[in-house]
Amino acid sequence: MTCPTESECNCSGAGEINEAIQIEIVPQRILSPETSEKLLGRVYDLDGIIRVMVQGSRLPDVVGYGPGTGQKVNHPLKKTIDVEGQRINMRVSLGRLLVEVCDEETVEELRKICEEIFTFPFEFYQGTFFKKYSTIVDYAKLGPNADERLLGMTDPKGKLDHIVFIEKSKDLKEE
Amino acid sequence: MAYTAQYYPGATSVAANRRKHMGHKLEKLREVSDEDLTAILGHRAPGQDYPSTHPPLAEMEEPPCPVREAVAPTPGAKAGDRVRYVQFVDSMYNAPSVPYVRSYYAAINFRGVDPGTLSGRQIVEARERDMEVVAKDQLETEMTDPARSSIRGATVHGHSVRLQEDGVMFDMLDRSRREGDVIIMDKDQVAIPLDRKVNLGKPMSEEELAKRTTIYRVDNVPFRSDAETVEWVQRVYLQRTQYGFRPGVEKTQ
Repeated sequence: MTCPTESECNCSGAGEINEAIQIEIVPQRILSPETSEKLLGRVYDLDGIIRVMVQGSRLPDVVGYGPGTGQKVNHPLKKTIDVEGQRINMRVSLGRLLVEVCDEETVEELRKICEEIFTFPFEFYQGTFFKKYSTIVDYAKLGPNADERLLGMTDPKGKLDHIVFIEKSKDLKEE
Repeated sequence: MAYTAQYYPGATSVAANRRKHMGHKLEKLREVSDEDLTAILGHRAPGQDYPSTHPPLAEMEEPPCPVREAVAPTPGAKAGDRVRYVQFVDSMYNAPSVPYVRSYYAAINFRGVDPGTLSGRQIVEARERDMEVVAKDQLETEMTDPARSSIRGATVHGHSVRLQEDGVMFDMLDRSRREGDVIIMDKDQVAIPLDRKVNLGKPMSEEELAKRTTIYRVDNVPFRSDAETVEWVQRVYLQRTQYGFRPGVEKTQ
């Protein structure tokens, strides 16, 4: 699949994973670290998961500007959580979850998990949420010929050493 | 017959609350001490004298001026206080007040204040002791709910962000948080840590907030449900637009 913009830029779309189903989960509240850990743990336990991305409000270590610049924040939402045996220091709160799954069955399982975990309403959409084509940000972060599955998976303002990838090791890779 | 000011049209609870805020018919809900207020404002240390920017007016030889004679100075101006600010942030999830109403409230009810209105925050600049009166009044009355409104000098974006799981407005700099059944603040308004925990009181319940809010929301009191308000807002917008064409002015020039 090639770029549809007729610009002859030679960028290629994420062809093979376009058949997958993409889900956006928007809880009506910003999740606490405990709920985030529970949700991510259950999502990663599912079989048909391809990609997961977390978006939310930034949780800085120090005050960024104003008279209090440099003061430590120590935000209670900023904790270290355990996902798939990997300890992750939260840099953003969990406000939106994008998940790419293989089949409809997993979508229903995902919806069931949300209903079980959230004690408040949430929105659950099916659509296209991950980038299909490499952008300037992707090129700057990942270079030419980047893995198509990593397109749009990095924070444009994030530093390279802040990027966290949680890889689901065994089953899916073998498939 | 004595004239009674009518501050806002409408028959809904939101319109009635707006009239209450503007006309200063407010219910006092909590107590915040002067020392605690000074601490969270962060302009001077609690107990410290007010620093001044000029000598008291009585010691200054002012030129004769009919306006100066007609207008009594505010206590802060009289003492020569510095101009300082307080800034309130209101969540869009049924916070009791909104920036526009806070500005009307300050401009109608206090002298020597300079209110500034933005989408999610509202700032009042005034002489320090005058500003503290305005700030304390808002903090102690029904204009503020500690969970949905907050004093924030910098990084104010909680206004339009979803609430946290515990129903408190998100604050990236964590100035206030729920501890037990009350909200405490242990940083000043620009997130410099304090040596004390200021108790801002119990947050209101969802039902209470829906009753006291001055925000029109489709899931509470929709703006379009208030026919009188809609009529007057449309009238103001129509006449303002029509006057933009300056009818008749060109002919006289």
